[in-house]
This record gives sequence, structure tokens and C-alpha cells, in this order.
Amino acid sequence: MPEMFAASCGMRRAFRFGTSSLPSRLPAAVAARKVGFNSERRPSPTTSPTTTTTTLAAGMALQEVTASFLRRLRTQDTALAQASGLQCRRYASSNTASPHVAQEIQDLEDTDFVKQDPATAANLKYDPLHRQRSFAGTPPSSRYKFRPPKYYRGPLHPHQPPKPSDPASREYIPGPYSLPRLQQTYTSTLEPDLMTLAYVHHPPGYQAPQKGERLRSWQGASPYFKNRDLRGPRGGDVLRLLRKPITFRNVPKIERITVHSMVKDAVSDSSHLHVAGMVMQAITNVRATAHATKKSVAGFGVRQGQHLSVTCDLTGEDMYHFLSKCVDVVMPKIKDWRGVKGSSGDSSGNIAFGFTSEEVASFPEVEVNYDMYPPKMIPGCHVIVHTSASTDQDARLLLTSMGIPFYGKFIN
Amino acid sequence: MKAPSTALLRTFSPLWRSEATSATARGCIAQQQQADFSSTPANQARNKRAGPKKDARITQIRYHLQHPLTPRPLRFSRNRALRHWTIHRAWQLYQFKLRNKQQSDLEKQYQSMANACEALRLIDNQGLTAEERLKLGEGEAEGNQMGKLFRIAMQKKGIWDGVPIEYARIQTDTPPRDGWNHAWTR
Repeated sequence: MPEMFAASCGMRRAFRFGTSSLPSRLPAAVAARKVGFNSERRPSPTTSPTTTTTTLAAGMALQEVTASFLRRLRTQDTALAQASGLQCRRYASSNTASPHVAQEIQDLEDTDFVKQDPATAANLKYDPLHRQRSFAGTPPSSRYKFRPPKYYRGPLHPHQPPKPSDPASREYIPGPYSLPRLQQTYTSTLEPDLMTLAYVHHPPGYQAPQKGERLRSWQGASPYFKNRDLRGPRGGDVLRLLRKPITFRNVPKIERITVHSMVKDAVSDSSHLHVAGMVMQAITNVRATAHATKKSVAGFGVRQGQHLSVTCDLTGEDMYHFLSKCVDVVMPKIKDWRGVKGSSGDSSGNIAFGFTSEEVASFPEVEVNYDMYPPKMIPGCHVIVHTSASTDQDARLLLTSMGIPFYGKFIN
Repeated sequence: MKAPSTALLRTFSPLWRSEATSATARGCIAQQQQADFSSTPANQARNKRAGPKKDARITQIRYHLQHPLTPRPLRFSRNRALRHWTIHRAWQLYQFKLRNKQQSDLEKQYQSMANACEALRLIDNQGLTAEERLKLGEGEAEGNQMGKLFRIAMQKKGIWDGVPIEYARIQTDTPPRDGWNHAWTR
């Protein structure tokens, strides 16, 4: 086997040299110059240094030699030869004309695979027309058509759907179509301002004092304390988030907004829910999702599994547009409104506020088309702003800088 | 009432038409006429089964909330897909650079803030550091003179009360000449 490999390699090299694809690629002038140079240096028997006639004759002879040499070197103009020249590799099968190849093939062992059985050869008939007619219907297209799978079947499935950024994906969402003003304000003004406001300087070499463990271990002589789960947080069940000092990396920002509306009239009539969903998706630009109640409440006549609430989850562009609409259009129109309650918030940086049905009706999308909705069915809603801040204080600072006023006692 | 016979229709219909009913015919069969034929609307008070009349707006809203089938995904030819991919990559790259630039700007700001605070911490009321005082032949600064401005800055009085509402405005293309009407009363 190694010998065969070596032989084939040598063969290839020999072919490359023999057919000399290199000069054929060179410009003719260069090739001619090379040849002329070589032929001049070659000691010619006809050349005599003294007589001019002999020089002339020698020159003509040289020309003759050069022309014949170049003719041999000239590439064939047929398509096949061109194609084989374009290809870098050469194969023994395509160069059978060469004597080297013939020799090599002769050298190979005689096997049955090379020869064809005359009996079978007679039986094999090439009849493309018959073959074509034997097909039922249209033959499949020759073009390769990739069909991505409709559903995602897990990361280990060999057939994976395209990425959501690919327009062929079913999750593809075109956009963004706009750069919201609020986002621009945030990046240009609010973010550096908040970073500056919250900056706390420590002299170089300062080390923050070590705090105790957040979840305490069990101290005592009892053998049952060994390998026991850590004690719960102090003063209750809630383990508060840690507040890290604000640097240029973790300036609080808005992550998403959830607009939620519970429609209690939908217990008796589902049209309230439908109108609420329509209003929600009109004001948020996001498809509303209905939610089933998890528990039945006999007092309210609510049964488990009834769809009584709708939410819209806003991120990115929609989120900024919605918040700026609230701040610039809706909130200024509310009568006798003092602001968002200072105690609002879930103590981990998410702040909620609400709009009554009249206030929802003052959203520009509802206002321009007010007659579209039955006026008694326009719902109120809750707006929950999820920020990346870990305390309500930071979140409130962020929202005040965006123009949402707060009143009353601030509870963090 | 029985469904009208289609025998006559079949008699005159072409022979090669398939037996499958068309969409229109199926719709007609599905909602058969209940009352006798009349050109006037049915009196609703007489019809016990139909409830109170629904608001037409609700019907419309319900109709439009029924989302049609999910649109089929876009299929691009090879060149179009490549073009889209190129533009998408370019946009991502642009966004990445923009984000990096903003982040580095913020970092620079943070660093210069830290440097300024460090300088404030080391100077006294006259703006002289301890070394400069030594050079000038002045004595040691009193305890509370050193870094007074720094301590005032770090008190952060009124910071957490929030931004005044006059300044908490979203940027606009055409801001008003007088930003806030302070004279406004109810």
C-alpha cells in the first residue's frame, strides 16, 4: 500500500511536470523570453562567431526551434482542457493519453473490477427516453431545498431550526424601526447622571468591612446541627437582594415593563376580557396574553381556570415608547394626581403604578379611536416597571429622573 | 326545514365537476335558514334563544382578536439571504461598537470622578496639599480643614430625594423656549 501511494504521488508529480501547466499559464512573452534565453545559452553546432550569414541562419533556426517548442507548449482550446487546467489536481483517469499513465495502469494488478463481464455489458442498455417515461408524475427538482423544522425539538436534535435573527425563522421579528427618545435620553444624560449621583469615593487601599454570612450556620453542641441546612434569613422569610455599589457597569436601567389588567366583569361576560385585551394591545403594541385564574374564590364568584386577566410584556423599543407615552401624554392629563405612591415597589427594584379606566382612555391610541370601544368596558391597568436596580431607592431615582413623580413616604 | 335539494343544480352542472361541495355551498349548509323566507329582519323579541343583542363593536373586536394563521416564515433566495445576513452582521457590529463606546465613555467619566474626589480629599481650604504646605513653610493643617470639600461631597444631601421634576424631562427635537412654567397656579 505505501508503495502504491508513493507511486501515485510520483505519477502525479511526473504528470505535472510532463504536461507543464506552468509555462502555459505564463504570458507568452515571458515564456518566449525564457525559451530564447535557454536556446541562446545552449551551445549550437551551427553557430559560428565570425560570419554574419551563419548568425542569420542560426537565428532563423533558433526561431524555428522556438516556434515549434511554443506550439508544443500551447494549451488546447477545448473546454475540457481548459477545465482540467483550471483545476489544480490532476487525476490518472483524466490523463490516460499520457504514456506514463498507460505504463502505470499496465503495472497495476489485474482485477475483475477493472474489466467488465461481456455478458452483463450486453444486457446493460442505456435508454434515457424509456427511463424518463417510466417515472410517474414530475421528477423531483434538482435544486436542493432546505426546509427548517417547524418546532424546536431540543438542543440534541440533529434537525435544528434557524436562529431567531434569520428571516427564515418563525421567531424572526423585524426591527427595530425607531430609536426611542427615552432611550437616547437615558444613554446620553440619565445614565452618567445616575452614576455621578450614586458615586461613593473610597481612598486607595480601602477595604470594605467584612460582613457576616447572609445565611447563618447553626451554632451549638447539638449533633443534629452537623450538615444541617443554613438558617433562614433574619427577621422573616425574605432574603433581600444585595446592593452593590453603582459603578459604570451597573447603572440601573429599565429591563422590561409588564402591563397587567384584571377584569372582574369577565366572570359573567367574556366580552369585557376581549375589549380589555384589545385596549391593552392598542396601547402597548404587544399582543395581549390572557391568564387563567389559579384558584376559585367563592366570594367573588371566580372559578378556577376562568380567564380573567390580560398582560402585555414589553421589552426594548416598545417598552421605551410606552413609558414615554405615560410620562409625556397620560400622566400630565390626570386630574388631581399627586404621583406614584412612594411606598410602591417590591423592595428589589421593581416599581408598580396603576391607571384607572378614564386614564387608560386618555392614552392617545384609545383617544383617537374612542368610539371603537364600548366606553364602560375600557379597563384600568397596572404598570410594573422592572429595573435592574436591586433596591427600590435606586429604582425610584431612575424613574424620577425619567419624569415619574413620587409622593408620600418613601419605603425602601 | 329541510335543506334545499341540490338535484336540480347537479343536473345543470358540468359533468366533470367533483362531488366535493365548494366553500360557499358548505357555508350555506352550515347556517341553514331557520325562519321562512322574508326580506325583513327577524323580530328579536320573538326569538327566545338569541340573548340580548350584542354590541356591534364587541363583535368587531372579537373578530379582529381572532388572529389569523401564523404567517409563514420568509424564505429568501440565496443572494437575498446573503444580503440580509451581511446587513444584519453589519448592524450588529455597529451596535456593538456603539455600546462599547458608550461604556468606555462612562468608564472614563467614572475614573476622572474618582481622580477628582481623590484630589479633593487631599487638599485643604486653600487648595494646598500637605506637601505643598510643607514646601511653603506652613504648618500642618487643622483636622477639619483637610479634605473639607470632599466630606461635603460625600454627604450626598438630598441626592436620594430624586431629580427635581423640572429637570426630569425626556429630550425632544424642539424643546420649548421657557422649559417650565413656574408661574402656573390652579
